[in-house]
Amino acid sequence: MRDMIELSNLHVHYGTSHVVQGLSVSAARGEVLGIFGRNGVGKTTLLKTIAGWLKPSDGSITLEGERIDGRSPDRIARMGVGFVPEDRRIFPGLTVEENLTLGFMQASGRSSAANRAALEAIYEQFPRLRERRQQAGTTLSGGEQQMLAMARAMVGEARLFLIDEPSEGLAPMIVADVYRIIRNMKAKGSTILLVEQNVRNALDVCDRFLAIERGRIVHSGSAASPTDTAKLLQVIAV
Amino acid sequence: MLEYIQFVLAPQVVTGLALGVAVILVALGLTIIFGLLDVINMSHGEFYAMGAFIALALGQVGLPFWALLIAVPLLMLPIGYVVERGLIQRVFNSPDRHVTTLLLTFGFGLVLEDGLRLIFGPNPHRPETPIPGAIEILGTYLPLYRLFMVGFGGLLILATALIVYRTRLGAMVRAAAFDRNMAASLGVPVEKVYAGAFAFGVALAGIAGVLLAPIYSVFPTMGRDFILLAFTVIIVGGMGSIGGATIAGLFLTQVQAISSLYISPVWADPIVFAIMVIMLVVRPRGLKGRLGHA
Repeated sequence: MRDMIELSNLHVHYGTSHVVQGLSVSAARGEVLGIFGRNGVGKTTLLKTIAGWLKPSDGSITLEGERIDGRSPDRIARMGVGFVPEDRRIFPGLTVEENLTLGFMQASGRSSAANRAALEAIYEQFPRLRERRQQAGTTLSGGEQQMLAMARAMVGEARLFLIDEPSEGLAPMIVADVYRIIRNMKAKGSTILLVEQNVRNALDVCDRFLAIERGRIVHSGSAASPTDTAKLLQVIAV
Repeated sequence: MLEYIQFVLAPQVVTGLALGVAVILVALGLTIIFGLLDVINMSHGEFYAMGAFIALALGQVGLPFWALLIAVPLLMLPIGYVVERGLIQRVFNSPDRHVTTLLLTFGFGLVLEDGLRLIFGPNPHRPETPIPGAIEILGTYLPLYRLFMVGFGGLLILATALIVYRTRLGAMVRAAAFDRNMAASLGVPVEKVYAGAFAFGVALAGIAGVLLAPIYSVFPTMGRDFILLAFTVIIVGGMGSIGGATIAGLFLTQVQAISSLYISPVWADPIVFAIMVIMLVVRPRGLKGRLGHA
């Protein structure tokens, strides 16, 4: 089966800083790949590069065989990449529903009826967002904003989700809700690249993982293998 | 006292209002472009002049005034779109974007102004007032055309606010103004939104040119004078704020109109600019918040 996403010898620079150094990895359709490592090792940079926010200095990124590196973020989004960034980035002047319906642009060929159905499905899954749909997005609690950020990426027709630190700053009960959503996404066959500091929670939903140190992969393995995960915990010193 | 209100104050207030809505239309374009693209469009005044000249030319070949109100903005839209895609977007990602776009639009404004001078000559043209005469309201005679300007301009301002704050297109504009990358990652075609908003701003300036042409005449440097007032309005109202531009536009043009009743009219402009300077010192961000920022 063709990989959903494949990064090949990827290099990314921030000015003179060489943040991602020749990273190669792939994820199959329906796979959840955990990306772990200490702060500042290049995890977020990697997701931003796939999303098109940053341009790689070398290497390639393909989505189901089609090159996406160098394309604009909106083009990449319309090709089926949904991004839930670390700081959620809820638009302050927009209501919850306006934040959500912007995601329709990702599925620009879809009919209005299909858009309405997609929104209804999101409200079924996130009833709290339905209750607060006319409220400004930034007035929601941290957990609700995380749900909104995830729902906004899901309302389009993404095939691949890039989720960055979804549990950051959230209470344990809310984190459980967030992971329930990620499990649902996985059950529906979504491919997910999951960057997370909370490794133990993340390993529960991941199929495979990789650990990054100074922009390079230093360890990778199966989330189901106790030997691989034990080494992972050593490598990233959790 | 009643006679003073009827024959002096009320007509002056209406004159101020008519100028106010035209300034607001120009300022709205300027402020949307700044709020969204973070670009100070120094050629905006020349787009206002271009609108007036296109109206003049089309009027001379027989197009009625009512048709000009539709035709001119429709012609200005593609012009604005092409200028944004062809000039501004080419330097948009340069490290010193603010300076580069400021100089680029300043230079382009000079080209437009000289182009208008070459085509239409340096002398002023005065189109006929499309709605002559006056109406008596409570004993006060008010010029019909200025009343029309207030009503029509007011509707355009309201329509602009509704588009920006009540439609999905407006939500895209506000989202892109706040966070370009995040909006793009939801599939919003940010570069087209930028070009579209620039074109919309240019079209609004063009309509202001059509509306003011019968009052102030049409001449190649007309944009240079008018744009100073529009810049003052968006600085006082808050750079990038639609509500702020509307309040500041109405306030400053009334200050200008009413102050010239009591002191020499040559002092009206310095008073308005002094308000801008005071605002910059006391409250640099202006009356209202920027587009896309709650």
